[in-house]
Amino acid sequence: MRNIWKSVRLDFSLIKPYGKTICFTMVLPVVFAAVNRSLMTGISFAMCFIAMTTGYTFSIAEKNDMERLYGILPVRKGELVIGRYVFVMIMGLTALVCSLIIQPVMLAILGENVTTLEFLSALVAGIVLFALYTVFQLPGYYRFGSIRGRVFMYIPVAGFLGMLFLTARTPAKSGGLLTAVIHSPILLMVLAVVLVVVAYVISILVSVRIVQNKEM
Amino acid sequence: MNNYLEVKNLSKSFDNFCLRDITFTLPKGYIMGLIGPNGSGKTTTVKLILNMLKRTSGEVRILGLDNIAKEQEVKKCVGVVFDSNYFSDDWKVRQVEKSVSVFYENWNTQRFSELLDRFQISPAKKVKELSKGMQMKLMLACAFSYDAKLLILDEPTSGLDPVSRDELLHILAEYIEDGEHSVLFSTHITGDLERAADFITYIRYGELFFSGGKDEFVDGFRIVRGGREEFTEELREKMLGSRAFPTGFEALVKTEDLRQFAHLSVEPAAIDDIVVFTSRGGEQYA
Repeated sequence: MRNIWKSVRLDFSLIKPYGKTICFTMVLPVVFAAVNRSLMTGISFAMCFIAMTTGYTFSIAEKNDMERLYGILPVRKGELVIGRYVFVMIMGLTALVCSLIIQPVMLAILGENVTTLEFLSALVAGIVLFALYTVFQLPGYYRFGSIRGRVFMYIPVAGFLGMLFLTARTPAKSGGLLTAVIHSPILLMVLAVVLVVVAYVISILVSVRIVQNKEM
Repeated sequence: MNNYLEVKNLSKSFDNFCLRDITFTLPKGYIMGLIGPNGSGKTTTVKLILNMLKRTSGEVRILGLDNIAKEQEVKKCVGVVFDSNYFSDDWKVRQVEKSVSVFYENWNTQRFSELLDRFQISPAKKVKELSKGMQMKLMLACAFSYDAKLLILDEPTSGLDPVSRDELLHILAEYIEDGEHSVLFSTHITGDLERAADFITYIRYGELFFSGGKDEFVDGFRIVRGGREEFTEELREKMLGSRAFPTGFEALVKTEDLRQFAHLSVEPAAIDDIVVFTSRGGEQYA
């Protein structure tokens, strides 16, 4: 467990020089939420953006040939992989929490009130979307590297466009998702949690297998 | 435990290259040079020792521990310097310490600071702002800060100027002074080993050509020189490698065969000579 946290710290120090860039990109979803007057749209956009930045750690490591550092550190390959997943989840949760604070405030300033139901829906949707984006992306990066694996970076974009398509066809305050939440919000949350956990477990297992079979 | 590194029948097959049955032992307190021309399998051997590549067969023991079964314990005791640095270019030197030190329980921050002072590396500088020689010293400073018992260097001097190379040899000499540390030094710049190495392991075309004491290695060969008329077919068969000039020739021969070359001018062979001549074709020596 300690080695996983050490790996998280290593990834954090990798991304640290790019912190300002990442923070800046997180401003755009706020604008998007304001323009569309929709928290759900803003959160979807934010999670798409932050999911796209998960490739940073891979490209920085690849650019600096850091596979050699990973190869000499006294940690198991699996611990490095799990550490990266934990780091990515921390990034996603941080972005989600920040967005869920800033975007409702922005909407309130614009005269759009965000109900508790909308807020909870956005929270659940944010977690599920981020999980769906990253569970495909990370094994892709491990398998194909940061350049060829970049194609997996567009999965979040496709997902986001899909979300836009769905939300455009659904009234913001009475959509299918909201209806489902109204009918059984606890069930939806439980389902979301189960989906996220199962998806991450499978994704981690696949990534660990890829890394263990990889030669540096 | 007397041997810090034991490699037994180590083999690795790639599509276009095979490393076959590499066996050598590095005792505690010594420096071993791992030599061979480019593409001979030195880096493959180093990566197999570090379990960065999967071996096809064989065994590697570091400080008496299997390098795969006890990988974490082993890596806590091994320091590695590659031909280029393996830190993020955007890290400052102090960030390197922060990022790497957490992985080693016995990391000594004071020692790291002392080494930075000694190597004249500013903690505030970014890795990319350091020269190649400084980057090599930074990797060494990290290895020394957790008191790595075995230091593995893979082509550390390639691209370094003679002053930096000389400094490295000084540092290594100091490192093994207490008899508690060992160094495996892979290089194709064999001049560095003439001074520093106690043992030589020579890999040629993926196969072990020699492993043993440096003096035994160097004493095992001689350079003979003579005129063109003396460069006969009969003598040529006894030569491990030769080079003909318009006015004469020079060749590498085994010291044990020297009697047959007594009429020629004989000189000691340098490690470089042995590698150059034997790489052009020769026979198994050991």
